[in-house]
Amino acid sequence: MSIIECRDLTKNFGKIRALNNLSFNIEENTITGLVGRNGAGKSTLLKIMAGYLQKTEGEIKVWGEDPFNNLQVSANMIFIDDNMPMPQTLSLIEILEWGSKFYKNWDMDIARGLLDYFSLAPGHFHSHLSRGLKSTFNVIVGIAARCPLTLLDEPTTGMDAAVRKDFYRALLKDYLKHPRTIIVSSHLLNEIQDILEEVLLIREGAKYLHMSISDLKEYGIGLLGKKEILEKIIEGEEVFHREELGKDTYYYVIRNTLKDQKVQEIKLAGVEIKPVTAEDLCVYLTAGKKGGIDSVFNGK
Amino acid sequence: MKLNTDGTKPLYVQISQWLETEILSGNIQKDEKIYSQYQLAEMFNINPATAAKGLNILADEGILYKRRGLGMFVSPRAKEKILKKRKNDTLRQLVWELVTESEHLGVEEEELFKMIREVKEEGRDDK
Repeated sequence: MSIIECRDLTKNFGKIRALNNLSFNIEENTITGLVGRNGAGKSTLLKIMAGYLQKTEGEIKVWGEDPFNNLQVSANMIFIDDNMPMPQTLSLIEILEWGSKFYKNWDMDIARGLLDYFSLAPGHFHSHLSRGLKSTFNVIVGIAARCPLTLLDEPTTGMDAAVRKDFYRALLKDYLKHPRTIIVSSHLLNEIQDILEEVLLIREGAKYLHMSISDLKEYGIGLLGKKEILEKIIEGEEVFHREELGKDTYYYVIRNTLKDQKVQEIKLAGVEIKPVTAEDLCVYLTAGKKGGIDSVFNGK
Repeated sequence: MKLNTDGTKPLYVQISQWLETEILSGNIQKDEKIYSQYQLAEMFNINPATAAKGLNILADEGILYKRRGLGMFVSPRAKEKILKKRKNDTLRQLVWELVTESEHLGVEEEELFKMIREVKEEGRDDK
């Protein structure tokens, strides 16, 4: 069952178009990764789903209703990002205790357990925490709330590698026990991909692709070899990326539609076939058309 | 087992191969219930849908069978099927690579057979 349905969703901020005719569905009880470059519209999209922002045109339905100004949606949804306003006068443990009054599925044992595990002092104040610790506390709230729709916008900002790893595991474990719909935006696809089911990649406010993570990992294929051999192979193929590696040697990333037969032929011609990670692929798919960072320095 | 996440082999394929190895080694017997997608997800820290994909490969090949509402179980002829599959796929692929490489190097068939026999001999001596 789809719990979020988006049709031709558009959002303008003045003259700037942040979201452009976005259409997709999110299925219930899945973990979806929302991926895209800075400024692609990830946060705007999440905030519209959360009901924080009003759409300009098109349609968005969360549980069949428009999320903006909607009590039903706000009661069953939590949105976590690093601008979450937290009460200045309450200690961390007091904030968590208040959480149980706001969210009906709130699990205080998990909240206390995570607070203790991540060595956050219950008596501290949110405004005194470092950036990484603030993020850690915010995701504790996000997990403990157990909302049927959990939206996490760049939840790991500022966290160190060990905490990020623990957080992903905690999120997965709690999801296995209490399935719910989770959408998490992140730049670090490599770290989060294992716990994802779906990936929604957006580029300049529009949907670029929406598919299962396992399909995405097989979507592209890298070919490394001599220029003239490669140029024959890639004729008529969809090319995502091209890179010059030394004299006459090229690295191409193309759409993976090659049949086993052709793969064998390519290998025989001396071309190396390399897997393309989901993260690299997303970078190639959303790359600007300006010829990369080098072009700035080459004065072109 | 630790999953290899460099992208060379899809996670669900690694899951299905790990389960095959568990069956071959006798850790899971025939007609015994195999791990659920949720157990695998927890064990390997992966999405349960990925784990389900690994299980479904084996169900499609008849290595596992489904019992409604109870989960998946190891087929009575699972070992046989896995061995056959590995012979037809994995071993064949290795042989293909062997033959291709020997052609590159201009190694004659008889010489290649001799090398195979020698390697087998060495293997026997080691045991």
